[in-house]
Amino acid sequence: MLTLLARILKALNSETSARSLAIAVVLGMFLGLTPLWRVHNLIILLAALIFRVNLSLFLVSFAVFSGLAYLLDPMFHSFGESILRADSWQAIYEAVYATAIGRVSLFYHTITMGSFIFSLIVSPIVWGTTYYIVINYRKRIQATFNKLKIVRVLKGSRLWQVYSDLRG
Amino acid sequence: MSKSIIRWPGLGAFFVVVGTLVLLSWLFLDTILKFTFEQTLGRLNGAEVNVAEVSHQWSPVRLTLTGVQITDPNQPELNRVQAERISGDVSLSELILGRVLMEQLDVTGVRLAQKRESPGEVYVSINKDQVKSWASDGWSSVKAKLPSTDEIVAQVGLQTEDVIATAKQKVKQQETEFKQARDQLPKKEKIEQYKQQIEQLTSGKVEGLGDIAERKKQLDELKQQIRQDKEAVAQFKEELEQSIETVKTQLSEVKAAPGNDIDRIRSFFQLNETGIQNVTGLLLGEEAKKWSHYVLLAYEQIAPMLARADDSQTIEKARGMGENISFAEQDAAPELLIKKARTEILIAGTKVDVNWENITYQHDLLGQSTTYQARADNASLWRSFNLNGELALLPSGIDAKQQWQLKGAQLSNIGLVNNSEIAASLISSVLDSDGSVRVKGNELDGSALVKLLDLKVDASGTSKITKAIANALGQLNRLDVNTDVGGSIVSPSLSLNSDLDDQLGQMLSQAALGEASEKLQSIKQDLMAKVNEQMGGEEAFLSQLGDWQGQSDSLDKQLEELLKSKIEDSLKDKLKGRLFGGS
Repeated sequence: MLTLLARILKALNSETSARSLAIAVVLGMFLGLTPLWRVHNLIILLAALIFRVNLSLFLVSFAVFSGLAYLLDPMFHSFGESILRADSWQAIYEAVYATAIGRVSLFYHTITMGSFIFSLIVSPIVWGTTYYIVINYRKRIQATFNKLKIVRVLKGSRLWQVYSDLRG
Repeated sequence: MSKSIIRWPGLGAFFVVVGTLVLLSWLFLDTILKFTFEQTLGRLNGAEVNVAEVSHQWSPVRLTLTGVQITDPNQPELNRVQAERISGDVSLSELILGRVLMEQLDVTGVRLAQKRESPGEVYVSINKDQVKSWASDGWSSVKAKLPSTDEIVAQVGLQTEDVIATAKQKVKQQETEFKQARDQLPKKEKIEQYKQQIEQLTSGKVEGLGDIAERKKQLDELKQQIRQDKEAVAQFKEELEQSIETVKTQLSEVKAAPGNDIDRIRSFFQLNETGIQNVTGLLLGEEAKKWSHYVLLAYEQIAPMLARADDSQTIEKARGMGENISFAEQDAAPELLIKKARTEILIAGTKVDVNWENITYQHDLLGQSTTYQARADNASLWRSFNLNGELALLPSGIDAKQQWQLKGAQLSNIGLVNNSEIAASLISSVLDSDGSVRVKGNELDGSALVKLLDLKVDASGTSKITKAIANALGQLNRLDVNTDVGGSIVSPSLSLNSDLDDQLGQMLSQAALGEASEKLQSIKQDLMAKVNEQMGGEEAFLSQLGDWQGQSDSLDKQLEELLKSKIEDSLKDKLKGRLFGGS
């Protein structure tokens, strides 16, 4: 846990781009909000691993949004049901349903559809918010933060030691 | 140097993660399948489903489930169905497309309504109104006691005394009218006077034609009086006849009254109102219920599960499970299709193969009904058994029909009922049955005739009435039971009726009457004594009326004779005597 926190701090203080960090949070959000055992999550995982995305932030995001998903599942169900029952889309759904990919994707599952579309809708907001936080952290907080007495105390702690080790 | 956006080692990590997942799935596939089957079947069943073991093979893809127990949601302590082994080939290509297609499914060691080691969990709340209250609950109604003779006498209300009072009043009234008529009769003296007057007028010395004319006039006047008296006699006779008729009728009614009272008391011993009508149901209901599970297997067990597979609304969803919405086209293949299935059902140790075709819950897509047939001849338990039927799940509900014939089923040592009131067991019998059931819109409608031949029943009762029932059952050697099947497929109801109830009613009536006969005889004697005591005067009056009948006839005759007297003849005789020297 300490290692993970240290990695996050490292990422925030490193030269990793804020866009990349924000993408990690968004990908973690997809993995966390939608049901885990779905084919699209393999694609999310592949993207997180193959692209230079901060894995620590991705994992933390996944954990946080998984907890949130537990609370939001009833809403995802209603949302997904309303999408799947939309009259104008029935022909498309029927066509996709008849394909192997469509069936494997489980798009016809209410929570899967609801949570995925919800994630798509909020992903620009999450990306933007994360990007804004990282930029502002680096611009304003980082220097002030380092001057804080408590941070100095922390720098003498085990956490800082781990962090320093990571920095190499 | 800026780093590449692609992290190639990440690809390796991805394959490691996916490979690990595949490996774990491979290693624990049977456990995962077991969990999945328990969850899915439990959801379809509405109550806990246990699978002891799941095994698989890849080529061809074959799954085998052993030790499957499906809890009865209405009676969680029982398994509605349990099977020793379920095995079938699954089409992998169809499975990828989300469809379950099985060419052949074999289910062996099927038993129904077996007790579970521990009660299963129920997921779907039971509609209590639908749970049938079986006839076995009704023995308490047979506790109705036969009423005692005194109670019946009090209830009947003896009518002999009323009849006596009415008769007395009517006879008295008639007597008054009779006496009035009698007072109008000419007295003896008057008749004698008539005779003397006629004698005087028709005899004696004739003074001439003027005298004759005078005498004739007087005789005519006398006859006029006699005629009036004769009329009074006629009226009296009429009154007398009426009195005799009235008194005889009243005496007859009074004499019949004690007998009528006893007959009415006897009729109250009939058991039509004592709640004994449903002994057949009480006696055979539990056993019929067990057997009905087998006969109605397709409707009670299979159809509701298939229906639930298509109707997720009936199942309470676990939190966060979501719902799969089907977008199958009208001409799409069914999502579940078992082309052929063989279920080997164990009935009292005898195996019965039921062969199914086209098991699905989307009959409208398939365009065919699910059909099933069972045939087992010369089994150890029966001579022949034949059952066939078909069912389809339509938007309107389950549409199905089924018929069966069972011949020469050997029954022995079957406990029928055992409670504080009565214990009865069927020692031996041969059972023949045939019937049919139709299901439309989930409602059952059918009937069956069950013949129990060479019947031997051992029964004992604790109360007066159940002892009598037990005795009657012991004497039965044949019983024809008409069974009506109704209600919904979720909770079918059986109603049984036979002539047993009538037979028992008569036997119990006879027994009750036998016990009461002494008392009834005593009541009858008391009533007869009362009749004799109180109607003595009326009897005497009737006798008196009989006497008067003779007297009135005699009087009438006398008056008739008197009226025949003619003055002309007498005078002629006198005149002849005088003219020709006679006296």
